Amino acid sequence: MNVDGEGDLERKANDLVRLALFTENKHMPLRRDEISKKVMGSKSRRFGEVLARAQQILSNTFGMQLVELQTRPAEEEKDKKEDKAQEKNKDKNAPGIKKKAPTGTKSYILRSVLDPQLIKLATVPDDDLLRLEKGEFDADPELNAEDEYPVPEPTGAIIAWERGDQLQSIGLLYVVLSFILVHGRSISDNDLRTLLRRLRLTANTQVPRDARASLQHYTLDQFLSTAIRQGYLDRQRIGEAKGAQKKRGRASATQGGNNDDAVILEWRWGPRAMAEVGEQDIARFVADFMVERTRGDVDSEDDEGGNAHEDPETKKMRDGMLKGIGKAAGGNLAELL
Amino acid sequence: MVSSNDVQKLFLQAVASRRILSKQVAAKIWYKCVEAVQAVDETLEIEYRENKWDEWVNRLNAALEPLAIEFAHVFDEATGKDMYALVNRKSDEIAQLASDYTAGEIMYFRAILEQIMLAPNESYCVSSLAALREVNHVQTTMTKSQAQHVLGSFVARGWLLKSPKGRYSLSTRTILELQPYLRSTYPDEVLECTICFEMVTSGYACFTPACKLRLHNHCYKNHRRMRSDCPTCKVEWGEDDSKLLRVGEQAFKDGQEKGRRVRSVEADEDGDGEEDEEQSQSQSREPSEPSQSQTKVKKEKTTKGKGKGKKKVAESDEDEEMEEDGETPPPRTQGKRKARS
Repeated sequence: MNVDGEGDLERKANDLVRLALFTENKHMPLRRDEISKKVMGSKSRRFGEVLARAQQILSNTFGMQLVELQTRPAEEEKDKKEDKAQEKNKDKNAPGIKKKAPTGTKSYILRSVLDPQLIKLATVPDDDLLRLEKGEFDADPELNAEDEYPVPEPTGAIIAWERGDQLQSIGLLYVVLSFILVHGRSISDNDLRTLLRRLRLTANTQVPRDARASLQHYTLDQFLSTAIRQGYLDRQRIGEAKGAQKKRGRASATQGGNNDDAVILEWRWGPRAMAEVGEQDIARFVADFMVERTRGDVDSEDDEGGNAHEDPETKKMRDGMLKGIGKAAGGNLAELL
Repeated sequence: MVSSNDVQKLFLQAVASRRILSKQVAAKIWYKCVEAVQAVDETLEIEYRENKWDEWVNRLNAALEPLAIEFAHVFDEATGKDMYALVNRKSDEIAQLASDYTAGEIMYFRAILEQIMLAPNESYCVSSLAALREVNHVQTTMTKSQAQHVLGSFVARGWLLKSPKGRYSLSTRTILELQPYLRSTYPDEVLECTICFEMVTSGYACFTPACKLRLHNHCYKNHRRMRSDCPTCKVEWGEDDSKLLRVGEQAFKDGQEKGRRVRSVEADEDGDGEEDEEQSQSQSREPSEPSQSQTKVKKEKTTKGKGKGKKKVAESDEDEEMEEDGETPPPRTQGKRKARS
């Protein structure tokens, strides 16, 4: 019976790995109840064991892990000291810290756990590989002739990130995440819309999709809704009587009319953004952009260890920028949660 | 921190990011993964031999096998290149999630697959018009213009190919990943290459009436280098290619899509390829099924197919040579069919 139990555990773990891989393909988080239904069946008690074994398989075979998404209760008027203590203490199970402790959502995403140095090397163009892939690309008449289905040109990176699904949406998402971050980790709907309008994006503007999308009609509002559904963004009503949430001083600043009774929509990062993208990397993204713009491409070509080859002045500017972003966000940029 | 096992992990991530890739590119990526891991930790000793590719693939597949995933390969019918991809080998409920498509879109895809597999003259392709018309036969609210986008998406994701003449056919990836499904769903329509035994949807056939030879383009080329006669019936082909029959889009005949082929599920003895009838009408092509004489008899017995049982192809084409009384109306598509008496 023991043997059978082991075999069963192994089978379920393999099924969970498959489920994780295929669900990730759809860009949706994997919910615990789906796991229970599709993998565990009646034996939900052993979930912990099955998950642990599945994690081993994912890690050993693909260099990936399932990560449970965390929610963070809405940040109220902050006591900065308490906040700093919070951030330093990353242990979410620490007792006594009720308000700020992130809670599990019973939703999981897949994440690469390869060494960051390795990932960096894997995303940088390699001349050799590029030559080979570009050669094949150019030789394929169907790829080139059809403008209807533009296929991205190879970059020659080991991980072909240029083939990512809907890169346009990812780019837009990261811009929105950046806005939210530097605005203090939350931004009112009005403010966000104003900023997006500067980029010529209004509610009904078509967001470009690559040919793989079967639904071509895709407005900004649909993009935002999808981002919420996928867990990248979070939108809340702030200021309702029934809610326990206090209004944020900053957020209500731009509201016309009566602040005290105003109900505003606020955008924050969703749990998936915290786990998959991370505040630090978005901060670096913003810093890169700002530095490049300011320096006017003096230090262009941010290759492999970009920052390492910078001249000291640029590095100083970048460091200053990062500090500023951290301050604007409200301190202590989080790593991947 | 890296270990030598990271080569495998990075390699699989790299392959996954490409969906399908040539053996050359895959082998190069393997080398680059070794290089990258080595760069992070120079003290690691990593085994790498360029000519040990097959062993590398076997090692990967040993790890993937319990997950019912395979790093499999097949030759691209158009280019003759050896292509690799990670494919799912178990069509369970879990795998059905793997799609970005809605249920209606998946049904539409299956319908297109069917039209391709059932296409007359072993052409294994369907025109744009016919593909769009399929929307009417699928239970979905998709409009024709939506279907246009969906078809574009199928092509962009590499499930279908669209030829310069606008005809859709099976991509290498689809053949690689769905071959078990196609073989079990369309056993009478799946052709095998006589030389390599892999499924063939584009290539050559011998012009001898009874000869069952079918070859991939690349298998044909290889054979031709050494011999000029048919490997099966030994007839001399001579120098001229043009007498040979074709499999795939080049076998497409104008007007072959006048009717619509349906896989009707009948309670009948055996499902023979009734498409052979049409083939014999249009170009006296030797049917791929042996018992052609039986098919006519069967036609009379054919009922309006809603039963279970073996699959049968119902013809709904207008055709002089069909002497039986009336044809079988295809089960699902009452709308546009022209009634024949």
